[in-house]
Amino acid sequence: MNNAKGFRSPLMITVTTWKALFLREAVARLAAGRSAWVWLLLEPVFQIVFLLVIMTQMRVNTIGGIDTVVWLVIGLIFANLFKRTSSQAQHAINANQALYTYRQVKPVDTVLVRAALEGFLMTVIGLILVAGASLLGYDFAPTEAWVLLGAFLNIWFLALGLGLIASIGVLLIPELEKIISFVNIPIYMLSGVAIPISAVPEPYQQWLMYNPIVHSIESARKAMSGYYHTNPNLDLFYTTEAALFTVFIGLSLHSRFVAKVYKK
Amino acid sequence: MIIIDDVHKRYQTDHGYGPWVLKGISITIPTRLSVGIIGCNGAGKSTLLRLIGGSDSPSKGRIERRCRVSWPMNYGGGLQNNMTGRQNSKFLCRIHGLREQDIPERIDFIQDFTEIGPAFDQPVKTYSSGMKGRLQFGLTLAFDFDVYISDEATSAGDAAFRNKAQKAFNNLTDRASIIMTSHGEGTLRQFCQAGIWLHNGQAHWFDDVKDAFAAYKETLPK
Repeated sequence: MNNAKGFRSPLMITVTTWKALFLREAVARLAAGRSAWVWLLLEPVFQIVFLLVIMTQMRVNTIGGIDTVVWLVIGLIFANLFKRTSSQAQHAINANQALYTYRQVKPVDTVLVRAALEGFLMTVIGLILVAGASLLGYDFAPTEAWVLLGAFLNIWFLALGLGLIASIGVLLIPELEKIISFVNIPIYMLSGVAIPISAVPEPYQQWLMYNPIVHSIESARKAMSGYYHTNPNLDLFYTTEAALFTVFIGLSLHSRFVAKVYKK
Repeated sequence: MIIIDDVHKRYQTDHGYGPWVLKGISITIPTRLSVGIIGCNGAGKSTLLRLIGGSDSPSKGRIERRCRVSWPMNYGGGLQNNMTGRQNSKFLCRIHGLREQDIPERIDFIQDFTEIGPAFDQPVKTYSSGMKGRLQFGLTLAFDFDVYISDEATSAGDAAFRNKAQKAFNNLTDRASIIMTSHGEGTLRQFCQAGIWLHNGQAHWFDDVKDAFAAYKETLPK
């Protein structure tokens, strides 16, 4: 671990810094303000109940052959994972400005750690939601558990990539922050979270398949039940490719424009 | 030993690059020699200290630290306002590689040294500037560095704390050295042997800090 002179190796420093940042961020996210952790859980619960009430009133009891509850719970866990990870990552640099005094902490560390924390929290929240819905009698046993896990990791990875790009992007072009905040709703509408993509007529449905988020969410629903029918061009690897591409661009931007963070 | 090799620095502003603050500085600071950095406002003293401490990287050139160097201590820097004094201390213990079982002892030391009482468990944003200064001082002393960097940090706190800090600093100089800036000539003379005078983006080395002051004063308007 330590070399002859007592200095720690770069890898060791990075790992301890990530751990310190992770615990720090976790405290900020879970203990800041009055019972902050309750709100983290209540937000998706409210979204699910709200959409469920609307859909039951419209007599939509199944979507694409699976129960609306299963369809909604999966969609909203994934949508929240994507939104929270990308947005927390995007704001990581400003929130941790004071810590760049210490040379152990680099801007990219704070972005990566925030994304990891959000992934961890949404895993816990997702499991609580699924456990709750199972207790109410809904069938949440996936037929292809690996595909479900893969879809979860892929959408997180994509959110990390976009968060990395956005975190530096808003420093380079401050207007980007406003654009990101107003494209959020269209992205939500076009990702098949609340509106099934199968309800969109061709050829427009094919256009929606350019959105990598769709491939992850629809693959996850298909993993819940082999009977779920969705667009035949569904391909989870498309999300993987998009995620790898955005992470690569994000890390490159960080290494190229890191000086922007330290401007006076 | 700290090697500063042809270091240039300019900052990025909203309208492209700003002017060069440091223009090709090459200095080697030997081990166990305390150095005072002198120059007028805007000469680049804080910039140079930030580069030596690694809080920022040079635009050109290279800095090599062959010893343990602290972060640059300055007024209010490096503290997270929404975290308590204790949480800030814990974070620093962790990034400096302390094992979890050694952290409580170090936190006790910091708490004792700062003497801010129950405020240690309140968010830093509720602190007065004197209390912040006390915390920062305690934090730096909690770790064994070979070189401590102080950017006007010795003026923190009230008279009682300044005395205590002075004593701690004196003890420190037995085993470590200090690189510091201060507008108080007395403070620099007390702690530093050598001096660096920053002028027009260039650095001039003086083996005696008094000579650095003399050179600095000559350029001041009479």
